[in-house]
Amino acid sequence: MKFAPLALLLLSCTAAAAAAAAPLHIQLELPKPEHGPYHRPYVAVWVEDASEKPVRLIEIWREKPDWIKDLRRFWRKTGRADQPLVDARTGATKGPGRYQLSWDGKDDTGAAVAQGDYLLVLEAAREHGGRNLVKQPFRWDESALEIKVKAGTELGEIILTKGTN
Amino acid sequence: MAIAKLTALAALLFASQLSAHTLTVVPSHYVQSKTGSFVSVDVSASNMTFQADKGVGLDAFYVWLPDGSKVKPAAVYQGKRKSQAEVELATDGTYRLELGNGTRYFTSYELKGERKRLMANKKERTAKLPQGAEKVVTTQGNSRALAFVTVNKPSEAVLMPQNKGLEFQFDRHPADIVAGEEVTVILLMDGKPAAGVELDLSREGELYRNEPERKHHITDSSGKFVFSAPVAGRYLLEASYQADIASELADKVREGFTLSFEAALP
Repeated sequence: MKFAPLALLLLSCTAAAAAAAAPLHIQLELPKPEHGPYHRPYVAVWVEDASEKPVRLIEIWREKPDWIKDLRRFWRKTGRADQPLVDARTGATKGPGRYQLSWDGKDDTGAAVAQGDYLLVLEAAREHGGRNLVKQPFRWDESALEIKVKAGTELGEIILTKGTN
Repeated sequence: MAIAKLTALAALLFASQLSAHTLTVVPSHYVQSKTGSFVSVDVSASNMTFQADKGVGLDAFYVWLPDGSKVKPAAVYQGKRKSQAEVELATDGTYRLELGNGTRYFTSYELKGERKRLMANKKERTAKLPQGAEKVVTTQGNSRALAFVTVNKPSEAVLMPQNKGLEFQFDRHPADIVAGEEVTVILLMDGKPAAGVELDLSREGELYRNEPERKHHITDSSGKFVFSAPVAGRYLLEASYQADIASELADKVREGFTLSFEAALP
């Protein structure tokens, strides 16, 4: 009897851990433009909380430092202030195609975030091309989700999926 | 020669407060993501915002580095329509680019019904004013044109008010001004909030619009005003303040500045 509350607590902890363990899958498409010279876009993908404060940088695809500033929101929110973080999450730029990313529900320090409302932010800028910004709200809790974001010129269709726990 | 140039610039700075010509300092980039690069800075007196009309001398153009030290630009050129300064951005942080001449004194008067002006303060004017001068008023004038450029992480040193003349405090760093977001500004005169400062906010492209879409503001009793940039782009904030003063050197003070900045895409 004495142990029952502890057991309950353990159970709920396990449930919370399981919820955090189901990642958010992000399918992202980079379109192939029909006209003009092609340079691979710079792309950043990150999570912001409901007050639009950056929580977790998922990935940034870039080359030279000169042009990172063209990812205007990324640069203002994260890039300019935290070079080690940017370096740690940097990947090579990518050509047209579909890409899979995921978020494990952790912030930049590695701590699990609280359940609640978040924004998945994707920004792409291409030399001689345009710039796209997508801010997709989603709920981070035990429930499953599937969200499709309509394609733009620099960011093609984006699909967010997450399983239940 | 140098003095003549400075005097001419002072006259232009002063005149720009009175006439429609506005001095602007416009860097090629307000934000950079790489150190060791340069910005080219256009300096011009113009009627329409950022539509260069007249190049001006850059003897009084200085760069304040992120550590607060003051240096000359790497190179300057005075063109007919605009002048240019090359500014090296060797380190991270925020730079202030400023054209200004410090405080100048002008005495205006009427002689036989004609308005005239000479450069003298109240102490000097007695010896210089002609016989029969009327309606004598001495103005202490100061006018600056400035802009900020930020490389990587923004810094604060060059934003600190000096508690001298007309200055401003934004509720955010200039590199954080974003289209559609409200910005609160406090205008300071000699370090104290200044009510009644007149401000004009304009943006580029006036030549290609029927309506200039300028916004006029006046600071409230706490020296505050609030603006928001409707779209991303380059903006010019013009501020002017005048008041009667009790001073040994002047009857009036007239201070002004123009600040160019960009409102970033959200």
